[in-house]
Amino acid sequence: MSMEFLVATGIGWVTACGIYLLLRGRSFPVVLGLTLIGYAVNVFIFAMGRLWSGAPPILIGGPAVADPLPQALVLTAIVIGFATTGFVIELALRGRHEGGSDHVDGARPGETGDDAEKAQR
Amino acid sequence: MPGDLFSTHLAVLPVLLPAFTAFALLLIGDHGGDAQGSHGHRRLRWARAIGIASAALGLVLAARLALQADHGALEVYRVGDWPAPFGIVLVVDRLSALMLLLSGCVALPVLVYASGGWDAHGRHFHALFQFQLMGLNGAFVTGDLFNLFVFFEVLLIASYVLMLHGQGRERFKAGLHYVVLNLAASALFLIGVALIYALTGTLNFADLALRVPRVEEPEAAVLQAAALILLVVFGFKAALLPLSMWLPATYAASSAPVAALFAIMTKVGVYAILRVHGVVFGADAGASAYAAQPLLLPLALATSVVGVLGALAARTLSRLVAWLTVASVGTVLAAIGLFGSAAWSGALYYMANSTLVIAGLFLLAELVGAQRGEMAGRLEPAARVAQPQLLGLMLLLAAASNAGLPPLPGFIGKLMILEGALGHGWVVAVWIVVLGVGFLTLVGLARAGSILFWNVRADLPACTGGGASPRLLVATLALIGASVAMTVFAAPLQRYTEAAALQLQDRAAYARAVLGEQGGEQADTARPYRIDRPLPSGGER
Amino acid sequence: MPGFAVSHSLHCMNLLALTVLLPLVLGTALCFWSGQRDTRGRRRLTAWLAAGVTAAALAATSWLAPEVFAGRTVLEHAEWMPAIGLNANFRLDGLALLFVWLITGIGLLIILYAAYYLHHDDPAGKFYTQLMLFMAAMLGIALSDNLLLLVVFWELTSVSSFLLVGYWGHKAEARQGARMALTVTGGGGLVLLAGVLVLGQIAGTYDLSAMLHRGAEIQADPRYPLALGLILVGCFTKSAQWPFHFWLPEAMAAPTPVSAYLHSATMVKAGIFLLARLYPVLGGSGLFEGIVATVGLGTMAFAAYVAVFKHDLKGLLAYSTISHLGLVVFLIGLASPLSAVAAMFHILNHATFKCSLFMTAGIIDHETGTRDMRQLGGLMAFMPWTATLAMVAAASMAGVPLVNGFLSKEMFLTEAVGAQSDFAFGVLVPLAATLGAICSVAYSLRFIHDVFFNGPPKDLPNPHPHEPPFFMKAPVGLLVVICIVVGLLPAATFGPLVHVAATAVLGAPPPDYHLAIWHGFNLPLLLSVVALVGGAALYWALQRKFDLHLHHPRGWTGRLLFTRAIDGLFGFAGRVTALLENGSLQRYAALMVGSAIVLGAWPFLTGHGAGLATGGRELLPAPPLAWVVWALLLATGGALVLGHHDRFRAVVLVGVIGLVTSLTFVSLSAPDLALTQLSVEVVSTVLLLMGLALLPAFSPRESSNARRGRDAALALAGGGGIAWLAWLMLTRDHDSISWYFLEQSIPKGGGSNAVNVILVDFRGYDTFGEITVLGIAAVGVLALLDGLRVRRPAADPAGRAWSFAKEPLMLRMAARLVLPLALAVSAYIFWRGHNLPGGGFIAGLVTAVALVLQYMALGQDRADLLLHGRGGQRFTRWIGAGLAIAGLTGVGAFVFGKPFLTSAYGHPTVALLGELPLATAALFDLGVYITVVGATMLMLSVLGAASKEPPRAAGVAS
Repeated sequence: MSMEFLVATGIGWVTACGIYLLLRGRSFPVVLGLTLIGYAVNVFIFAMGRLWSGAPPILIGGPAVADPLPQALVLTAIVIGFATTGFVIELALRGRHEGGSDHVDGARPGETGDDAEKAQR
Repeated sequence: MPGDLFSTHLAVLPVLLPAFTAFALLLIGDHGGDAQGSHGHRRLRWARAIGIASAALGLVLAARLALQADHGALEVYRVGDWPAPFGIVLVVDRLSALMLLLSGCVALPVLVYASGGWDAHGRHFHALFQFQLMGLNGAFVTGDLFNLFVFFEVLLIASYVLMLHGQGRERFKAGLHYVVLNLAASALFLIGVALIYALTGTLNFADLALRVPRVEEPEAAVLQAAALILLVVFGFKAALLPLSMWLPATYAASSAPVAALFAIMTKVGVYAILRVHGVVFGADAGASAYAAQPLLLPLALATSVVGVLGALAARTLSRLVAWLTVASVGTVLAAIGLFGSAAWSGALYYMANSTLVIAGLFLLAELVGAQRGEMAGRLEPAARVAQPQLLGLMLLLAAASNAGLPPLPGFIGKLMILEGALGHGWVVAVWIVVLGVGFLTLVGLARAGSILFWNVRADLPACTGGGASPRLLVATLALIGASVAMTVFAAPLQRYTEAAALQLQDRAAYARAVLGEQGGEQADTARPYRIDRPLPSGGER
Repeated sequence: MPGFAVSHSLHCMNLLALTVLLPLVLGTALCFWSGQRDTRGRRRLTAWLAAGVTAAALAATSWLAPEVFAGRTVLEHAEWMPAIGLNANFRLDGLALLFVWLITGIGLLIILYAAYYLHHDDPAGKFYTQLMLFMAAMLGIALSDNLLLLVVFWELTSVSSFLLVGYWGHKAEARQGARMALTVTGGGGLVLLAGVLVLGQIAGTYDLSAMLHRGAEIQADPRYPLALGLILVGCFTKSAQWPFHFWLPEAMAAPTPVSAYLHSATMVKAGIFLLARLYPVLGGSGLFEGIVATVGLGTMAFAAYVAVFKHDLKGLLAYSTISHLGLVVFLIGLASPLSAVAAMFHILNHATFKCSLFMTAGIIDHETGTRDMRQLGGLMAFMPWTATLAMVAAASMAGVPLVNGFLSKEMFLTEAVGAQSDFAFGVLVPLAATLGAICSVAYSLRFIHDVFFNGPPKDLPNPHPHEPPFFMKAPVGLLVVICIVVGLLPAATFGPLVHVAATAVLGAPPPDYHLAIWHGFNLPLLLSVVALVGGAALYWALQRKFDLHLHHPRGWTGRLLFTRAIDGLFGFAGRVTALLENGSLQRYAALMVGSAIVLGAWPFLTGHGAGLATGGRELLPAPPLAWVVWALLLATGGALVLGHHDRFRAVVLVGVIGLVTSLTFVSLSAPDLALTQLSVEVVSTVLLLMGLALLPAFSPRESSNARRGRDAALALAGGGGIAWLAWLMLTRDHDSISWYFLEQSIPKGGGSNAVNVILVDFRGYDTFGEITVLGIAAVGVLALLDGLRVRRPAADPAGRAWSFAKEPLMLRMAARLVLPLALAVSAYIFWRGHNLPGGGFIAGLVTAVALVLQYMALGQDRADLLLHGRGGQRFTRWIGAGLAIAGLTGVGAFVFGKPFLTSAYGHPTVALLGELPLATAALFDLGVYITVVGATMLMLSVLGAASKEPPRAAGVAS
């Protein structure tokens, strides 16, 4: 099997895990899910420049190098992802302290924050 | 020669002006949590002055660009002096200029309104407002797909914060939904862009317009998949069904000025759909032509219907307006989905008007609510408002325009769309939906208006607070007045939108203007990328 | 308006446009202004202003009347929106003139009447402003030569009538009636618009003057029936024809002047006007005659019958109006030319007598406080004058000889008799006509008898009624005089006007006829007699045999169905919305993922991707280590999904996946990405942990199995899809514009690290936006957590103490060592960035991490003093400065006349340091560096400050 196979399946698997967590009901797993999707998407963009081994786009030595453009795009994407993740984490906990629960839809009727959560566990 | 400087860099100024305003506002610092403190208050007054001045200047810029664009020449600006398609280019055509002008027309009154007190309810409102404008304008002028993503992120992150401005439990809840969904959408955006790059090797709109047709079956299928994934992203921004359910809660929860500003946000999605699916994946896209057509029109019509039903079901004025936003977006997208220059022209005209009206309605909703005691904006009998004539008149104008009653621009826009649909296979459906939605809007707004202004409860004391402050009224009047003015200047505006639509469909001219002499079909901007053979030499530039 | 082209007319002063604009602009403005103060004098002034404007409009058209009587048509054309065929084109011909005089003439009387009718606490300004608006719209309909323009004014009448009916908005029935009128007529207007558009498509124009002579050609078009149907719906809704008649009685909640003006004399005749207007285009066909005449006759008979049983005066008049409208519609429907004459004549007659009767009803209401005929009675004694006037008017309504109503009724019967041949069941036509006539006699009789005679009044709200003020009677009197004069000398009075109007309708002069009382003994006369006698008998029977007053109308009415439908609509809307918008993020997210999957798969499902399989690209062999890492990834992912409820573990597992990501990058020739990923990893893990400290440590298991199954399915579909797409692309070679970057990055970009050169130069604009995002996010966090203060548990869920002060010594030592080291490292990374992996962003993160370490070491209280000072102002300033530096570097190029972010560079050799790449890009990168440090520190410090430790820990820290 090839590197391409590993990368493709890896992207797929991480995306799957990310989507699953994204669809959970509490803010924290949702944030983790978004982070995972971020990883997968970054590798995906990178992979759209195809895979090259031992050819970093540093123009010293041989002319043969990997496609630099997707790498640059990924860098931008990473930074933006970092910024938004930082924001959403703090939004999640602010929401929790306002709404009394860290459920993404706020406190459900008859649920008062963490006590209920403990009860459910 | 500053004048010369001004005209040389005209295309980038709509981005730089708000950007530097925002930087300056950050450096000045905000009221630091205590707007009341004399120190903080002085800072706030400064921030207001700077912000409003900058927004006004931005409006002038946009007007200048629109006048220039109306001569038909594209304003192409090569950032970093790198040739297209390798560097990033900014392109201002009639459509971009129209969008710039529109966001300017919304931003200035809204900022004036916000300076009436809302801006003190949180941190760094003015800086964030300018960042929002920077993002919007950047998205409207860019000629590069990935750069579009970047400025989407700028305007989104700013919108997250603005949406939460004023805080409060409802906002945090709605805000979490808004943010999470948008982050998911951003991931999809990146996937779409990456796939398009993987198949065409370029990111520049003009270059894409030339390269997309060259991708044949079966690879074209992947390209179409990318286009449709982007449709999900833009459709979500524009609140296209089935991705429109986030909007009413979000807009209704936002503070009035922010909701009013957001009237332009959905139009960013519309704009992107027009650029990407209307032009790049439009008529001449070879195997990928009309990638979005089979889905766009039906979904848009459904959106319109669901939107107006939501408006009928709304129990507060702001939710009603929010749902009307959905309905109007549906109408606009349906017109775009017709893929004809006449329909597009109608779409642009109608979009411009509905944006102004809806922004005005959001502000008006708060003005009315503020005068109805504890009933606020709820659609139930309440005390008599303090300024029934003025507010009533404004609501009447806005409502009639939104419902498409003549002679207001809403009617003209819908008329253009109806005529644009003639000869299209879906003409009957489009007519029934557009007219039917107009009718239901009429029913809903007549009910709302009669409850708000006629169904007065005598047992409650009339509003004592007196009328709204002039500043707030002027801002609201400006928006609604601007929409009414669109009737008076209907003919020139129409010529403009028509020319804009035709310009969009002339891909060759666009490519020539952007790519210069090396544009055209035989351009080898993207070359086979191989590692095992020496790099293609002959970079003559 | 520029560009008026006047044809067929010697006058060129745009009098027609003026006629409309006078009330539309001047009238509304003046009345609104004058109505601002509600004094007695101002009220009178307002009425005078309204009257003046109306008179002016009347004069303006009368000036052109000679043209019309000379058989010419006055046209005034001006462009408005030529692109969509909506132009300000006006025409004045006989038909238009008749309506203009009707609108303005009756309007004047109404204004006079209303001045006395309105109670002193009814705002006069509001009333007259809205009245002016309505009048303008009505005049616009009458004078439009452009059908789209006509639709514009048409809808304007709907809106203004909505306002006028809702004038007493505090009454429930007024609101109800107003909304119903708007819904029916406004909706009808939209249908009319559709019809007009179709007609315009057939004719190729919306201008009547270009359309009127092409009836045959248009009726030959297959789309003609569609256009006809849609337009007829518009006309019937407006003119309250069955089955749309029900809104008119409801609209009687309006003040009586409004009812008299809108709902008897003018607005409800707009539908009739349009029928007549388009008769040359649409009329004459069997289809037209069949539908229009039938609906008209049916409505006429049905409404007349219902009217008899109405106890409310205005209710009776309303149904009588519907009936008479039906009569006119029937006449227009008929193909015979004389019926057009009769129609025009009856329009005028009906306006005169019905308007006066409404005014009388208003007077009675005004004087007695009720309109219920079961209470009223014997008013003859109290108000003989009013009674006398009412009797004449009612006689005209009943069609008694010597008054004008008789004449047109007679002509109507003549036409009905003549029309037998045109219909399948021709005999029914005169029969229905006579029945209608009988009923109208009956209700006219009842109107008089029940109100002015028939015993003393029963418990009136206002027990002492008397004659109203003279000027309230005057309009009634005038109209009644007209009824009589016209009744006696029809040809000399209405004759010429009727003639030109009929000519306009028919498109040619009608054949010879003469309006006169006596046509000799003939069948119509007989029918009239039958009607009079039968009507009297019917009323007598109803009164005597079964007491009419005890009669209650049956439950099912159009009104009831309508309200049911509207309620149903709102209920339906509520259910649909509740169904779709359930406020659950999980559903919305699932919808988005689902749509992405479906749309992504769409091209393949629709068969475009047929034969799309693994490509031929030569693949990279995977070393065993890669397999190990891959297995680790799969395992970690699985563990995360299964065990994400323990949040602390989840964070660690996510970190592992992040590490695998950067391993992938480094092994696949992307050192920059690996470095960046790694440093971002560290910081965001710190963020996650700090956030976690303020969140519950565990996620409850609350999803049902079905929900989990659905999500798993979505996840696998999404993951599988993305993997498949990646595979397809990875196994194919690609074209790219990247060759340019490789060629140019050293000669033109001045750096050998192509990625970094792209970031700060080729696509520096992206980076500019990217760091802006970072800055906004940090400021956003500041705004977000503003005012949040939570006591954080002293120990984390796993029992570990959160206070970093617990192990201060070691940590402080470490921090002291690390900070300078880190700064040196970041400086190094920063400088090499342009040529080797590194750059401002990574350097910034390294610095930030070192500072965070410092922050932990110091213990939060002191760190807050140090870092979070003055509400985060410091770091926001750093961010602002960083962004400004980056931006200004870009703007610097302006000085050299270059575009934004154009770079320049040199390689000066500096002692000790050797050759330094001094590119402006480096300055730009410096901006990036500062922004990153500021943003990161702001995020962390705000979060830290939001979560104060219990004082005890803080105490230990110091």
